Amino acid sequence: MAGGGLVDREKITLKLKNVSKSFLSSNESKGITVALEDINLDIKDGEFISIVGPSGCGKSTLLRLIAGLIPTTQGTIELNGKPIEGTSPNRGMVFQDPTLFPWLTVEENVAFSLKILGKYKEKKDQVDRLINMVGLNDFRDSYPHQLSGGMAQRVALIRTMINEPEVFLLDEPLGALDAFTRMNMQDELLSMWSSNKHIMIMVTHDVDEAIYMSTRVVTMAPRPGRIKKIIEIDLPYPRDRMSDKFIEYRKEIMTNLNFK
Amino acid sequence: MLGGGIFIEQKCKGVDILQAAKKLTKEDIIELESKPKSKLEIILDYVISFLPVIFGVIHILEYVLMPNHGFNKSTNVYAYFIGLLTFITFIYYIVGLFKKNVFAKVRYKAPLYSFIFLLLTVYDYLTLKTGILMLPYFPWVDRIINAAWSDRAYLLDCIKNSVILLFTGYFIGAGIGIVTGILCGYSKKVNYWISPFLKLLGPIPSTTWIPIVMVLVASLFKGAVFIIALGVWFSVTLSTMTGIRNVDKSFFAAAKTLGAKDAELVTKIALPAALPNIFQGLIQGMSSACTALLVAEMLGVESGLGWYINWQKSWAEFSKMYAAIIIICIIFITVNWILTKMKKTVLKWQEVD
Repeated sequence: MAGGGLVDREKITLKLKNVSKSFLSSNESKGITVALEDINLDIKDGEFISIVGPSGCGKSTLLRLIAGLIPTTQGTIELNGKPIEGTSPNRGMVFQDPTLFPWLTVEENVAFSLKILGKYKEKKDQVDRLINMVGLNDFRDSYPHQLSGGMAQRVALIRTMINEPEVFLLDEPLGALDAFTRMNMQDELLSMWSSNKHIMIMVTHDVDEAIYMSTRVVTMAPRPGRIKKIIEIDLPYPRDRMSDKFIEYRKEIMTNLNFK
Repeated sequence: MLGGGIFIEQKCKGVDILQAAKKLTKEDIIELESKPKSKLEIILDYVISFLPVIFGVIHILEYVLMPNHGFNKSTNVYAYFIGLLTFITFIYYIVGLFKKNVFAKVRYKAPLYSFIFLLLTVYDYLTLKTGILMLPYFPWVDRIINAAWSDRAYLLDCIKNSVILLFTGYFIGAGIGIVTGILCGYSKKVNYWISPFLKLLGPIPSTTWIPIVMVLVASLFKGAVFIIALGVWFSVTLSTMTGIRNVDKSFFAAAKTLGAKDAELVTKIALPAALPNIFQGLIQGMSSACTALLVAEMLGVESGLGWYINWQKSWAEFSKMYAAIIIICIIFITVNWILTKMKKTVLKWQEVD
């Protein structure tokens, strides 16, 4: 199990049924902001879902709901048939900022979750394996402020990955990186996903990134945040960013988002 | 010696650059990147670094060779003392000739140390040698050292009492302060009850309460502990609370998705994240504790260095009084030094600059 790979386990399913989320405005006269309205989404084992849309369409809110960081106003989110309750290491999340704990070294950051869950002794070698995988062996005793943006985000990824969560939530994890680091990280994410086939849900601003990586792309519209369209990407991996089909998908999504 | 120095300099510029960049030390980099020094500047560096030794020797000669004023008496103790200091600076200079990082430090400190030796010489000249500054108010250093030595048993007892009192009060105040600080920063309910009192009592220096506390409390020691702890408690509570409140909320979110429960959010996230603030409070608290200690000892507690100072003053034993003041100074500097070292060790993860 420690080695990852295709593990024979129950099929993972994530179901969002009529999910709505409203926020109370800090300014009471403005009343209530509807961030998400009537979201329905069925996600199966081994899917890589990307969510794209303009800012303010509630993409990040949707991820936070699935992570359990905030409660739904209406509707239910079910993982494997059971409604989710609060946060769980089984629904891991990587944020736009690496949010590494600055008082812990790279190694301690990666081992944070294992130590809290009391699994450190049995899974210690996992820490080494993952740090090696992202090529940060020389930096295992470094503190986060000594890392570059790309390195920090890689640590954030494996810090969540170490739990082998069934649902992997990515909130624009590559948004702050330069183009080259970004493309490398996309491939790293894909290889990670293909070795474990959990459910990945990624929020991104980058339509190309969404097509390059995901099995389905969900487009969203703002005010109130809602799903506009779900587009299945029927291309074999690894994908060619220059292929005609790829460009066709890009056109379709751009048009759907009202860009021409 | 000088030629050797220049040779090292040139070798460094030429050969060492070719070696792996990893092997460069901080001093190497500073040297490589700075403008090359002229021969005169290099010689000047060696001369200035040697100045403390020269000033030390001058002071010893002044002390030993110059006749004392009137009936002023002096012993050899002070001469040995200054001799020891001079010898230490000399050793550092010699080590500096071979180790570049030591030399940089020696060169940096040299003007200051020379000036201190000069000050001591001038003071000795004005008191022991000429009597321009008169006894009993201005005893020469040799007299202070001998006074302290003759009263050593009692002084040690006073030091012990002061240190025990200081740390008892300090640790009680700091311990409670960290707990209340965490509770106030974390829970609105606790904050509701504690914060108003903090705001009300905070600005009043804790020493204000000494007269009333000394009357109310069963033992003077307990009263003094209370006063010291109060001041420490206030500054530690306030800084811990601020630290906890300013913890980046995204750390909590990340920790939650990694499986942390409420208790772990406090111990594994809030507390370490607030540590820089907590240390600031601990250091601030120490300075308020030192003040409270001395005031308490001067006003009520009948032991300790503060009391010793007051008592010797009333007997016009100014040499002993100065001795106690110097000892207090040394104790406080040491305590602060330890705290700062602890801070640096515990907070080594912090970004420097």
